[in-house]
Amino acid sequence: MDPARRLGRAQIDVLAQLGVSTVLLGGIYALIAVGLTLIFGIMRVVNFAHGEFLMLGMYVAFWAYSLWTLDPYFVLFVSIPLFFGIGYLTYVLVMRGVIHASHNVQIFTTVGLSTALQNVALVLWTGDFRTVRPWHSSVVIRVFGTAFNLSQVVAFAIALGLTLVLFAFMKWTHTGRVMRATAQDHDAATLMGVDTDKVYRLTFAIGIACVGAAGALVSPLYAVYPTAGLQFVLLAYVVVVLGGLGDMVGAMLGSLIVAAVEVVGSYFFGVAWKEVCYFILFIAVLVFRPAGLFGQRGAETLGV
Amino acid sequence: MHRRTVVTVVTALAVVLGAALAGVHGQSLSGEYKIGVLEPLTGPLAGEGKRHLEGYEIVRDMINERGGVMGKKLVFVAADAPDPTAAASEANRLITREGVKIITGTFSSRLCGAASEAAARHNVIYWESSCVDPRFNKRGLKTVFRTEIDATGFGWYNIEFIVKYLAPRFNTKPNQLKIAFLSEDSSYGQGVTESARARAKQEFGMQEVAAEYYSFTSINDFTPIITKFKQLNPDVVHHIGYTNDAPLFWRQAREQNFLFKALVHAGATGYGSPDFGKALGNDANGVFALLEPGPGFRLDALRPEGQKIEREFREAVQKRTGSYPFGGHQLAGGGLWLLKVVLDRAKSDDLDKFRDAVMSLDLPVGSVINGWGVKFAENGQNANERVQHYMLQWQSGQLVTVWPEEFTTNRAKWIPLGAWDARK
Repeated sequence: MDPARRLGRAQIDVLAQLGVSTVLLGGIYALIAVGLTLIFGIMRVVNFAHGEFLMLGMYVAFWAYSLWTLDPYFVLFVSIPLFFGIGYLTYVLVMRGVIHASHNVQIFTTVGLSTALQNVALVLWTGDFRTVRPWHSSVVIRVFGTAFNLSQVVAFAIALGLTLVLFAFMKWTHTGRVMRATAQDHDAATLMGVDTDKVYRLTFAIGIACVGAAGALVSPLYAVYPTAGLQFVLLAYVVVVLGGLGDMVGAMLGSLIVAAVEVVGSYFFGVAWKEVCYFILFIAVLVFRPAGLFGQRGAETLGV
Repeated sequence: MHRRTVVTVVTALAVVLGAALAGVHGQSLSGEYKIGVLEPLTGPLAGEGKRHLEGYEIVRDMINERGGVMGKKLVFVAADAPDPTAAASEANRLITREGVKIITGTFSSRLCGAASEAAARHNVIYWESSCVDPRFNKRGLKTVFRTEIDATGFGWYNIEFIVKYLAPRFNTKPNQLKIAFLSEDSSYGQGVTESARARAKQEFGMQEVAAEYYSFTSINDFTPIITKFKQLNPDVVHHIGYTNDAPLFWRQAREQNFLFKALVHAGATGYGSPDFGKALGNDANGVFALLEPGPGFRLDALRPEGQKIEREFREAVQKRTGSYPFGGHQLAGGGLWLLKVVLDRAKSDDLDKFRDAVMSLDLPVGSVINGWGVKFAENGQNANERVQHYMLQWQSGQLVTVWPEEFTTNRAKWIPLGAWDARK
């Protein structure tokens, strides 16, 4: 083939691949971030244990796969109610006590919870790196010189679906409206007869159910080990701040932006720079647009 | 507390105390020689730490069956060092309370620096068997010795393998070979990678097409790097990875159909970990990892004295654990055996005499456990070319020894690697 033409074609392939990688990686970040943005946006609680619930979700998928060869997509149907329950219990046992305390107390509590969960996993399942290998994790789809993994495409599709469902739930259902009202003004909502404790319980449970589902979906793609959550949790914060707290669509867009910064930064400047790139973006957003790139409701209660 | 319990406790204390005192005084009387063994026995590093201790104990028993050290029975005082602070304070305790003149340990690069620093302050000999931190013996300390090579030694061996073994099979001269370096950014990854880069460039004039570092705690996607590497078209990818990132890179390289001729790694993490094979099954085929000898290792390639001791060592490990020695057994056991060799020669734990004995040792490759040889440098580091290391390759779910060829019955396959689906 003519080298000049091949070069042109190759460049297009590279750009296409970077684009595809951005979208798919963004999907994974969005999966993890939607639950976080819900909890962060409505309860104003910085949940540092979010990554550990993701890790637990991955372990559920791992054990279901290795004990009964259940596909992670099937496990999803068990994980969502299971993690809804875990979230509900965690709220009742741990979070309720600190929900009206200062942010510092909440941070200490969730960091403590995070460390405790990591160590429980370490004791129960050791520090070994486990993998889930269902058939779809090794299926590669090739389109016009780009290549991607089937599990990743499914994860992206479900992330998109989940975001839209949550968005619709928040916007059009009565419960969603009550949740938004509580986020905007906790005291006024109480005066209107809203049971805010119930709202928080539900919010936390839904948020944890989302991340439990995320754990099942990312399990075919990443190694499962006790500190697996740390790999993603800082990133999820960047995403949430970028997208605006409590904004589902913002979280989706924020995920895509972070993924784009990461992919493009890694390609052009080297992987070592990827975190520098997106944390500069993070700081810039905090300085210039503290309410997130797309603005948000109730930012004033954050004191940012 | 019941009176009887109190009496029992007091009696027990008296017995222990008496025994401890007798131990201090009785080193020459009872014919025991005590050394300190410092390993992480609790905390996140405990798994490997315990395996090291097991290796030490196996070889200690072997030593005692063969006349002990300096005519005395070798005994251990083991201490737990889960983190650098504990490593330093336990080293101090072993020296001041237990009165040891020699400490051995500590496997982790996080621990060996602090522990040996504490030992050096008391002028106590510190005999390291496995940490690979390159800074360990660059502090001008006269009391530290290391039997295993350091991270820069790994880089040295990897380039040795690429130049002596791979290049001729690719029908390429080393200076025409295109190599891409990829590594996680801890002191281990950097130590291996930087020494490999320097040797590849200065000694052999290889063409370095890329050198990329990443943090293994936050890498979620290798496709941008793989896309870049595909354009640079390297012959060899030199990747030092941990256990979560190595399978991710390999899986994504396959997805992206990134074709190159060989991937070379060093160390027991990442591609060198059994978890890599579990994660990828037969897709792991073809990867090279520099390690201690594994299946396929030929005893008869060693010198007669090396064969004998290696066979006895393997049998002892088999008897105790029921399996082939793991890396931890091999490093700890091999290191302790060398300590015996030195003590036999020095006939004393006096620092000057001990040092003279260490420096005068000159054993060729194949003389001791692991097929190692000995030649220490003034800084207390055993020589790269004597501490024979071996290249292992993933073949059908197993890491087998493939290089140097005179040491193994297995042969490397898939050279060059060829298409991803053709490596069955």
